[in-house]
Amino acid sequence: MSAVVSDVGTRTAVTARDLVKIYGKGDTAVRALAGVSVNFAAGEFTAIMGPSGSGKSTLMHCLAGLDNVDGGAVHIGQSEITGLADKELTKLRRDRVGFVFQAFNLLPTLTAEQNILLGLELAGRKPDKQWFDTIVDVLGLRDRLRHKPTELSGGQQQRVACARALVARPDVVFADEPTGNLDSRSGAEVLDFLRMSVRKLGQTVIMVTHDPVAASYADRVVLLADGHLAGEILHPTADSVLSALKHLGDV
Amino acid sequence: MLRTILAGMRARTARLVLSSVAIALGVAFVTGTLVLSDAMTASMNDGFAKTARNVDASVTLQTDGKPSSDKPETLSEDTLAAVRKAPGVAAADGRTGGSAPFLNSNGKAQSGSAIALESEPKLRPYDVVDGRFPQQDNEIALEKHAASNAKLTVGQQVTVLGKDDQKHSFTLVGTYQQGANTYGTELLLPQALRSLGQDGSAGYHEIVAMAAPGVSQQQLVDHIKTAVQGQKVKVITGADLTTERLKAVSSRAANFTTFLLAFAIIALVVASMVIYNTFTILIAQRTKELALLRCVGAGRGQVFGSVLAEALLMGLIASTIGLFGGLGVSALLQLGIGSLNDNGSDTPVTTPLSLSTVLAAFAVGTVVTVLAAVLPARKATKVAPIAALRTQTDSSEEVSRTGKVRMVLALLVAAVGGAAVALGLKQGDGGASSAVITSAGAMLLTLAVVMLGPLLVGPINRVLGAVPRALFGVPAKLAAANAGRNPKRTAATTAALLIGVTIVSLITVVATSAKDTVAKQLDQQFPADYWVTSALYDHKLPTSVGDKLAGVSALSKVAASTSVYAQIGTEDYREIATVPANSLGDLVRPTLTSGRLDKLGPGELALGQKTAETIGAHVGDTVPVAALGSNGKGTSAGPKQSFKVVAIFSGQSLGNALIAPESLAALDPQAKGYDNILLKVKPGVSLAEGRAAVDQATADSPIAKVESPSDSKDEINTQVNNVLAFIWAMIGLAVVIALVGIANTLSLSVLERTRESALLRALGLTRGQLRLMLVVESILMALMGAVLGLILGVGSGWLLTKSLSTAAMQVDLSVPVGQIGVLLVAAVIAAVLAAALPARRAARTSVVAGMAEA
Repeated sequence: MSAVVSDVGTRTAVTARDLVKIYGKGDTAVRALAGVSVNFAAGEFTAIMGPSGSGKSTLMHCLAGLDNVDGGAVHIGQSEITGLADKELTKLRRDRVGFVFQAFNLLPTLTAEQNILLGLELAGRKPDKQWFDTIVDVLGLRDRLRHKPTELSGGQQQRVACARALVARPDVVFADEPTGNLDSRSGAEVLDFLRMSVRKLGQTVIMVTHDPVAASYADRVVLLADGHLAGEILHPTADSVLSALKHLGDV
Repeated sequence: MLRTILAGMRARTARLVLSSVAIALGVAFVTGTLVLSDAMTASMNDGFAKTARNVDASVTLQTDGKPSSDKPETLSEDTLAAVRKAPGVAAADGRTGGSAPFLNSNGKAQSGSAIALESEPKLRPYDVVDGRFPQQDNEIALEKHAASNAKLTVGQQVTVLGKDDQKHSFTLVGTYQQGANTYGTELLLPQALRSLGQDGSAGYHEIVAMAAPGVSQQQLVDHIKTAVQGQKVKVITGADLTTERLKAVSSRAANFTTFLLAFAIIALVVASMVIYNTFTILIAQRTKELALLRCVGAGRGQVFGSVLAEALLMGLIASTIGLFGGLGVSALLQLGIGSLNDNGSDTPVTTPLSLSTVLAAFAVGTVVTVLAAVLPARKATKVAPIAALRTQTDSSEEVSRTGKVRMVLALLVAAVGGAAVALGLKQGDGGASSAVITSAGAMLLTLAVVMLGPLLVGPINRVLGAVPRALFGVPAKLAAANAGRNPKRTAATTAALLIGVTIVSLITVVATSAKDTVAKQLDQQFPADYWVTSALYDHKLPTSVGDKLAGVSALSKVAASTSVYAQIGTEDYREIATVPANSLGDLVRPTLTSGRLDKLGPGELALGQKTAETIGAHVGDTVPVAALGSNGKGTSAGPKQSFKVVAIFSGQSLGNALIAPESLAALDPQAKGYDNILLKVKPGVSLAEGRAAVDQATADSPIAKVESPSDSKDEINTQVNNVLAFIWAMIGLAVVIALVGIANTLSLSVLERTRESALLRALGLTRGQLRLMLVVESILMALMGAVLGLILGVGSGWLLTKSLSTAAMQVDLSVPVGQIGVLLVAAVIAAVLAAALPARRAARTSVVAGMAEA
């Protein structure tokens, strides 16, 4: 564990420089991100936290190229993604980014296996059989591959989503409240897997959550308040996160 | 509650507009049809009433059913004089007319009939279009279509053929138009008409009179009755005459209205399906909202009522729009019908809006909409509120499989349909009843397929999806999965198109088969290069034409034949045709069912199968034959002759029996002239050269008409194609509604799948691919309907041609591949158009916004 942490700074997966995102116009304009600069190291599990309206989801959307920004720059690896056209962004998401959303992660028309391989198929890439098997076995989805999403439990659905996010070996996996819709046991399973994918499989995960327990699985927590960076916690625990959140107002 | 409904409707304007389009189109079609039939009835009434224009009293012969030689067939000049002298009569005129073919600008005869022009302008049921009415005996006016068809213009000389084809020359002074029940083509002064010497032009078939000022129609009738006392005439008032004429018209107009209404019903069924489907989807999407209403205290009835109220409101608004749209549809149809009519449209476009049309429009629009909403509304309110809140629109519950009851019902329908088809085919008499039973069976089979639709969607989708999958990869694969995800919805969406395509292809296949069968028969039975017939149905070709043609060196064979009506055995009015010995088995090739027919000697006869069966004659039997005089008009039969039956043939184009020309002279010594002359061009002479020679030989005989097999085929083709064009146009409207249905379903599905689309975009589906996905889905749905419809239509067409076939006439199935290709391509293009808006919308939604959508 310490080995991984010491890597921080040696290689950055995602960088944001002075990110500004404004919703609305004129008097009603809201600065959802008011100049956020933050680095996310490769091979690290980072949680973005903050109260509702702090801009944490917006930050993630901008980092992932799902939303355009009003100022600043985002780099994924060496390439700047701000200012890219939709087509290039789409290609970037396809090839270098994985997603796990809070809900509705899977296409109801496809089986679990087809869902896992969908991104690769869109990119026209052949799945790495060994890697696929590793992920499927680690996630315990072997006997669920032929099931449709409606035949899977919520936890299973999220695990399929995790498998899909990882199967293409993306530069970074973005997880938006991945446990928000799960009971605590299923949630723990998913978080365990995300952590393991970082520690054992060398992946990079950036997760947005409002749950201190979920955040405690991460290597580092980045705190956000009112569109500003409000501090970070290394090696968080649920308690340290909770108390940090409590004192956010003082920052 | 009303406020909630209105607020809800405002919030969902886009979705409601979609379903309103379907309702409005359906209503527009029904109204359009009704308005059209009203307009046609009105114009027919106008036309028919024209003959009674300004007529205050009408005098006709009293008929007791049977005409006989000792009673006068017409009203005499004396009767007219008596009527004119009767008190209260301001003016009176006799009406009469007679057959009077005239020559067109090419010098060829055209059938026509001349009518005596009334002396009193007010009593003329004609309106001048160009020029004026004739004022002198050497002047003539032509009905405007007759004039334009013959390419004659005012100022030219017109030759009219009188008795024995004598030529009479007149100056064309004007063209006119007439009422719908007047069939004359020429107007002449009465004296000029009589100078033509036609039978029956001596008297009048009707005398019409106008009352002097202050004299009522009834008084006039009474005066005239006194004046013509003792004569067997009927005198009625002008008002009664109008009623009488309109009674005749209403049955004719009713026929056409029924025909049009059949299309309206098809459109209505299609529209109802689209509306029902749209509502089902709309309500399925709102299940959560309705459940929330229940949770906050709305009663089941209130929720149910609110859904119905919404449907009612929507139905009313859409019906109003549809009603006005219908006026436009009707105008378009009138223009279309007008242009199909090669005479051009007579009547100006009118859009009479009757109360019954308005009622029908609203009944169709609102009742269908409300009914379409009942089932989904019931379903939505049946579920416990909390369960409904939890369900996802795409849960397996929603996508439930076809019910067992439905399957059993569908199989029952299919069984009944199959039995009906079997029965219809077994009857095999080629008659109407066999065709009706077969088509009813085919319709039931189609219905069964529609009912089983949800079961068929899966397999068909898999087959159809293979091509785009191979071409477009992942987006197409996703599209196929989407098209198949909710079989019920897809089936309901495509069913509308299926019905339209089934009907179109059925009619097209049957018409094409009939057309081709006739063409084939023509080829088989008359392998002639040309034939010459009379341009006038009641004139035979003079024998001189035959003699002249016999002298043409470019021809290798000239076979003239004629026919008489005769009594064969016990059967009256059978047509006996002569076959010259040199053409038997060569230019005339009857299909024999028994016997031999290398030659027909004197006293020998070949019998048509039907006649042979009726009189029970077989090859070798002797039958008595007696001619009925020319054209069978005579009442007494000629001398009886015995003929030996040497062969029995099938087919209908050769008449009921064949004899040698020599036998005819004995049967009917008065028979003269020919019905047709078959010609064969000499080897080495081109058809064009042959034609030129034939044209030259017949140039001085105005009634000789030269035709080739391809001319006849062209004529048949044009007729069939005109009818088909009309039917395609009518069904086309239903197909448009069906395509709006596809657009509807797709749009609603896109709304429903906003998050899914966003997810796909997040995973790397480009905007273009997303659009492609929806377009392919649309195409798949359209093809499902079109392909199934084609299979059903062509299949039904095949059954129908079988049922129409008899031993005598085999109707072979011919599938118009070109037209069907057009249909499929049109379906694909329309599907692409239907997907355009939904695809645009789906692609425009940003990923983040899409994911946020609940």
